[in-house]
Amino acid sequence: MSAAPLIEIKDLRIRFHGDDGRVTHAVDSVDLSVANGATLGLVGESGCGKSVTSLAIMGLLPKQGAEISGAIRFDGFDLLKTSDKTLRDLRGNRLAMIFQEPMTSLNPSFTIGDQIVETILRHRGGSRRSARERAIELLRRVHIPSPERRIDEYPHKLSGGMRQRVMIAMALACDPRLLIADEPTTALDVTLQAQILELMRELKAASGAAIILITHDLGVVAEVCDEVAVMYAGEIVERAPVDELFSAPQHPYTVGLLGSIPRLDHRAGQLATIEGMVPNMAQPPAGCRFAARCPFVLDACTRAPPPLVEVSPGHLSRCIRAPLERLVS
Amino acid sequence: MALLEVEGLVKHFVAERSLFGRALAHVKAVDGVSFSLEARKTLALVGESGCGKSTVSRLVLRLIEPDAGIIRFEGRDLLSLDAGALRAFRREAQIIFQDPYASLNPRMTVGQILAEPLALHDLVPPARRRERVEEILRLVGLEPRLARRYPHEFSGGQRQRIAIARALAVEPKLIICDEPVSALDVSIRSQILNLLRELQDRLGLAYIFVSHDLAVVKHIADHVAVMNLGQIVETAAADALFAAPRHPYSRALLSAIPVPKPRAKRSRIVLQGEIPSALNPPPGCRFHTRCPYVVDRCRSEMPKLVPDGIGHATACHRTSELPSSAAIVPTDGGFSPVLEKLVAAFSGGPEAVRGSGVSSLGTDPA
Repeated sequence: MSAAPLIEIKDLRIRFHGDDGRVTHAVDSVDLSVANGATLGLVGESGCGKSVTSLAIMGLLPKQGAEISGAIRFDGFDLLKTSDKTLRDLRGNRLAMIFQEPMTSLNPSFTIGDQIVETILRHRGGSRRSARERAIELLRRVHIPSPERRIDEYPHKLSGGMRQRVMIAMALACDPRLLIADEPTTALDVTLQAQILELMRELKAASGAAIILITHDLGVVAEVCDEVAVMYAGEIVERAPVDELFSAPQHPYTVGLLGSIPRLDHRAGQLATIEGMVPNMAQPPAGCRFAARCPFVLDACTRAPPPLVEVSPGHLSRCIRAPLERLVS
Repeated sequence: MALLEVEGLVKHFVAERSLFGRALAHVKAVDGVSFSLEARKTLALVGESGCGKSTVSRLVLRLIEPDAGIIRFEGRDLLSLDAGALRAFRREAQIIFQDPYASLNPRMTVGQILAEPLALHDLVPPARRRERVEEILRLVGLEPRLARRYPHEFSGGQRQRIAIARALAVEPKLIICDEPVSALDVSIRSQILNLLRELQDRLGLAYIFVSHDLAVVKHIADHVAVMNLGQIVETAAADALFAAPRHPYSRALLSAIPVPKPRAKRSRIVLQGEIPSALNPPPGCRFHTRCPYVVDRCRSEMPKLVPDGIGHATACHRTSELPSSAAIVPTDGGFSPVLEKLVAAFSGGPEAVRGSGVSSLGTDPA
């Protein structure tokens, strides 16, 4: 990408120190960047480090027990070195995040209006009345019917899809430059998922914000992302423009993930499965972290950790057997 | 004869009572549902949260009692069974749930969990129970030595295998799978789906598969019943439904499935508005508030489920007038040729990988 990226993560490493002295390598040497107006999909299964990465960007990891190194450059700041006060000014303002479970992220004892207004007053100031007008406008933008009435309702009165839209409205309150969406549609029905994805596309087109979408659903990635980073056991194993990733993936883990999705175009006899278990991240393996589960493994894979190399322009893979086409042609 | 026949099933839950206990409001969870299921086949119940699909599955097992309707299992009327006969029926039909964490007793070892149904139904003499437990564990792809462990020592996918093993222990003819893979990671999900299909072939099981994930349903079901607000709006063979969905609600559901292919060509129907409450379902067709094809008649007259004579039934006044269903399920949603080959190689299929080191570490023979 030619323009300077909006956010650039360099060599991010996150370790958690447990009470029993064990050190878990949650994230290792992650490099990522997102350009203005682009959507990056961060994909992987439970425990791969995708959510921890996003919490690090937001400065939401616990001070105690989490050891973070590297750099996260955003808008002229290094987020890992800024003061708590600056971070608080950025969060909800230029940096916003929405979570999977909207019910637990909304305060049940305040109306949704109060919660949106609070965000606007905190970052933008102005009068309560103008903030309220803006809140109604935001609710309208996320297609909440009769927002003038809904604004005074409490979260429990709203359905799941509606709550997620309120979360999005709140995230958009101060026109963020970067929106992090952590599994925003996982708890929703397909029809509501389609509505929310449509909404995210619409808002991105209107505001030009960049989005980091964290998900385990490759179907969702195909629908809304421009670029994809696949994470496995704390590392990025593949990064590619979305078309490339789905037409010619270059890491066996990505191939396994794609093969394990039930297909609509024909009824396969058996779905691909990824045998074995994720390695214990207190003692990550010496070589490739996927080697023990990889059907394409060579002896060399288990000896040294493979580097993330560019297989074709813009397409990176952490696999010494890439390009994988060679294996099947 | 069908294994299971359900006719006119109704279940209303009381949502609100007056001070004196009189019912003031009802949730019409299931409102006149009929279907049948052949032995060795899979019927999927699909629909959004609150459509009544889980309630139907519990009614079929008589875990809750219906208000009206008939349920026949192998021709026997289930609702007339006394306690003893009901207990015997529970051997024939089992259920597995979405959350394997919550459905296994944390204080029992896996061996005890699996031996309990054997003892309850007096299926295997005590001396041979251990042997049978090991056999069942092998059947679901777990090592027999794991019988001594407790549920918390297992991963989510393994726990779901244990839950399946427990259901299999009594050698049932029917297993109700209520969202069995929704809580699992993608790669684990495919293992459990493969296992369920393999067990069906080997043991001749019938499944009622309750799910909101339509790609999973496409993969596993022979027949599909689409439910909306307590009623079946369309039912058909899975292939027929996915090739040409007729009811506007089925179309909206199918068109919303994300496919793993960027820029797949499809005509998406994004429904506007919220799912109406089952407490106060709309009059007429219960889908009319969200239907893009609504006409006046839909608002007043409830459509009946009308079969077309070749196994496809639809409850919509406008079935014959709707536009073509082409491109609702994208036809080009498939893999690229390269990806197709890579996936085959990954699964150790016939087109195995070229190069060294692969044959020695191929996937386990299933």
